[in-house]
Amino acid sequence: MIRRFVLCAALLFAAPVLVPPAFAQEAEETKLLDAHFSFDSLFGTIDIKSAQRGLQIYKEVCSACHGLYELSYRNLEQLGYTEDQVKAFAADYTVPDIKDDGSAGERPAKGSDKFVRPFPNEKAARAANNGGYPPDLALIVKARKGGANYVYSIMQGYQDPPPDVKISSTAYYNIYFPGHQIAMPPPLQDGSVTFADGTKNDLAQEAHDVATFLEWASNPELAERKQMGINVLIFLVILSGVLYVAKRRIWKDVH
Amino acid sequence: MASTTSGDRPQNRFVQWVDYRLPVFTFLNHELRDYPTPRNLSYLWNFGSLAGIVLVMMIASGIFLAMNYTPNDTLAFESVERIMRDVNYGWLIRYVHMNGASMFFIVVYIHIFRGLYYGSYKAPREILWMLGVVILLLMMATAFMGYVLPWGQMSFWGATVITNLFSALPIIGPKIVTWLWGGFSVGNPTLNRFFSLHYLLPFVIVGVVVLHLVALHQHGSNNPLGIDKKGKQDSIPFHPYYTIKDSFGLAVFLLPYAFLVFFYPNFFGEPDNYIPANPLATPAEIVPEWYFLPFYAILRSTPDLLFIPSKLAGVLLMFGSIAVLFVLPWLDTSPVRSGRFRPVFKWFYVSLIIDAFLLGYVGKHKPDATLFGIALPTIGWLGTLWYFGYFLVILPLLGFFEKPLKLPTSISEAVLKKGAGVASGAA
Amino acid sequence: MADIANVHGGNPHSDGGTRRDFLVLAGTALGAVAAATAVWPLISSMNPAADTLAAGGPVDVDVSKLAPGQQIVVMWRGAPIFVVNRTPEALALLQKPDLVDKLRDPDSQVHQQPTYADNWHRSADPQFAVLVGICTHLGCVPNFLPKPNPTSPSADWPGGYFCPCHGSKYDLAGRVYKGVPAPYNLPVPPYNFTSKTTLRIGENPTGVAFELSSVQQM
Repeated sequence: MIRRFVLCAALLFAAPVLVPPAFAQEAEETKLLDAHFSFDSLFGTIDIKSAQRGLQIYKEVCSACHGLYELSYRNLEQLGYTEDQVKAFAADYTVPDIKDDGSAGERPAKGSDKFVRPFPNEKAARAANNGGYPPDLALIVKARKGGANYVYSIMQGYQDPPPDVKISSTAYYNIYFPGHQIAMPPPLQDGSVTFADGTKNDLAQEAHDVATFLEWASNPELAERKQMGINVLIFLVILSGVLYVAKRRIWKDVH
Repeated sequence: MASTTSGDRPQNRFVQWVDYRLPVFTFLNHELRDYPTPRNLSYLWNFGSLAGIVLVMMIASGIFLAMNYTPNDTLAFESVERIMRDVNYGWLIRYVHMNGASMFFIVVYIHIFRGLYYGSYKAPREILWMLGVVILLLMMATAFMGYVLPWGQMSFWGATVITNLFSALPIIGPKIVTWLWGGFSVGNPTLNRFFSLHYLLPFVIVGVVVLHLVALHQHGSNNPLGIDKKGKQDSIPFHPYYTIKDSFGLAVFLLPYAFLVFFYPNFFGEPDNYIPANPLATPAEIVPEWYFLPFYAILRSTPDLLFIPSKLAGVLLMFGSIAVLFVLPWLDTSPVRSGRFRPVFKWFYVSLIIDAFLLGYVGKHKPDATLFGIALPTIGWLGTLWYFGYFLVILPLLGFFEKPLKLPTSISEAVLKKGAGVASGAA
Repeated sequence: MADIANVHGGNPHSDGGTRRDFLVLAGTALGAVAAATAVWPLISSMNPAADTLAAGGPVDVDVSKLAPGQQIVVMWRGAPIFVVNRTPEALALLQKPDLVDKLRDPDSQVHQQPTYADNWHRSADPQFAVLVGICTHLGCVPNFLPKPNPTSPSADWPGGYFCPCHGSKYDLAGRVYKGVPAPYNLPVPPYNFTSKTTLRIGENPTGVAFELSSVQQM
């Protein structure tokens, strides 16, 4: 009976484990870099300081082409900014508004507004980028295989193409991008951004920070979710233990 | 048995008053407390109650998601993101619902494979089994429509590919597809009606589950030995024995479920579904959710069959793979129920499980990939033939040619023997 | 299921009986905790979401554009807010004993306003009335009738609000008349002047804590 129970439990637990071989990567893809993010481990959360630097990179570099539409400015309070800092950050951007005479106008963005997108619509985005569409970054970490490591790798994956590979004139060669031809020019180099807290600003650090920021953007609930997860798992282990002992006791006279 | 419950428990006035007018308490007592259940059920018998509990969890989480979801093609994706970011605990309810679907299928597949091994589909449980197949079909329809609702790339393109299948039907095919879509392609009308039906079907499932339980209680549960109860000593009351065992099983089940929800919530998902649907851009690989992969493999691997083009043949065999389950009680000719006493059957059963995983692998990967040097469509076709061969050829033949092991005379005899340290029929 | 009582056809071992009871009780208690913990997020999800709370933030009104005797209506948290630039004549009429006699609660004894509106003009600055434009009877939006009139909608009408649904009447400080269906004065929302010309609805002056939900009745 124990044998069968172990078999059933194994089946339940094995489903997530047996399945990975089916999800094995195709042979031609280059293995992504591993940034060893703070949030990789079971108990790890997002490094707030790193995310703040990542926000700076987004604002100074990425926001020229990439939107962050699912986020509202008030969400930045989760990254340790005060309400006033958020107000000031938002006020740098304008959103459409109706003037008193009824004509179209603008007003400064508030905390409750969504992040302003660089282009009004997809056509404008494509027209400004050789027909390519810079994807919105709010969900990019969940929308790509490899998640934050994918972003971290892409940032550092630009290289000269191998001699036998021909690439289009509007594309760049990136070893981590599927198909290797990416429409985005290398967005970051060493020293692209100067960090207010004096952190070393080489490419690896910048890539690390912007990927951390984007992980937060995709998964803002991460810290709360993991904390709750630990509590729930501990509780369930205790509950299982109590119920198991109760079951054995009740079944003693049957066996 | 009037309005009192078992023997020496005093009934309070309230219970008696209600029970006299609507015998709820007598009913619950008869079906859930005193109900005689075989004493030798293994943990594989936990999965029925687990499935019922997951159904309740899915309905609860789904109703609260529906309070915030908008079934419109321009608003759906954002409404889901609003749930994830702004609604209190919205991320939790969404991940519970999303991973609950996967857990539901894991539980139900184990439940089905339990039935396949122990002959639970044999007389007198044929209708019980067929009701179960109906539940499976309804679950698949519900899950398919549910996956469309977030309106991501996979939602849209999965819907497009699967609804397009119906165009393979001769003459009426294209008309049916237009009718399903409510337009010239998958679009807002499709999304809206899928939401309506996705909300409806789980309650239809509840109805069929009730029938499933009524059918079950007609003759009681099967058991690992596959032999009928001979007398009172073969059974024990459902409460407290199986209530506590089911509770324990539930707690253990919740562990991997919680692990997924809180630490790897997107493990079973496709990253492409976090990209809003774009009718102009087809994803590199259109892959259904994992629980559909074996069926997807059958669909894609079927070649032209005689005069039937491969597209239609694939559709027919895909639905056929479920249809064959309906008639299973009449395909298996063996007089022995439980696989424990069928030494040859055991190996074919194991091959079926391997076949299922193999088909899943084929369904997951691109048709031009290979495994051990063989093209996946070839493996898929062989796997499909093996699947149908198991049900249509092997099971009918085994009944005649297999020499089963000696069955114990009764359940309690086998249990007592085990208790005394003598090895009984090993699994 | 906490009471296990007798097992059908079996004898509980006397030594294990109470231990078993305890375990089942413990398991049931933990199970109840689990159920409550599972239900709580569902109930909490029905509370206003973060974006709803953010959208319910304060609204600024530029009162320099408001002519004397004029009213504008501004939406705040889904409710119409009346902002009136009261003329000195209207303010004088508010204090006349004839009017005060006709009112149900002239001294605003019922808690329908913040402390800074606990006066005869029910406002922080006598010149501007800020009132929640929802009739305290059954929720219709009263009509603005500021001009004094000898007969309509009542004798010696000094100016105020008349609700079209069931005839309730209020003066220009939102105080309800006697003998009408509405039971209470119009509520006053939290507000303060952030500058001489900017009225911010939804935010109290510093040091005052007042929630609109604390009033007797909307």
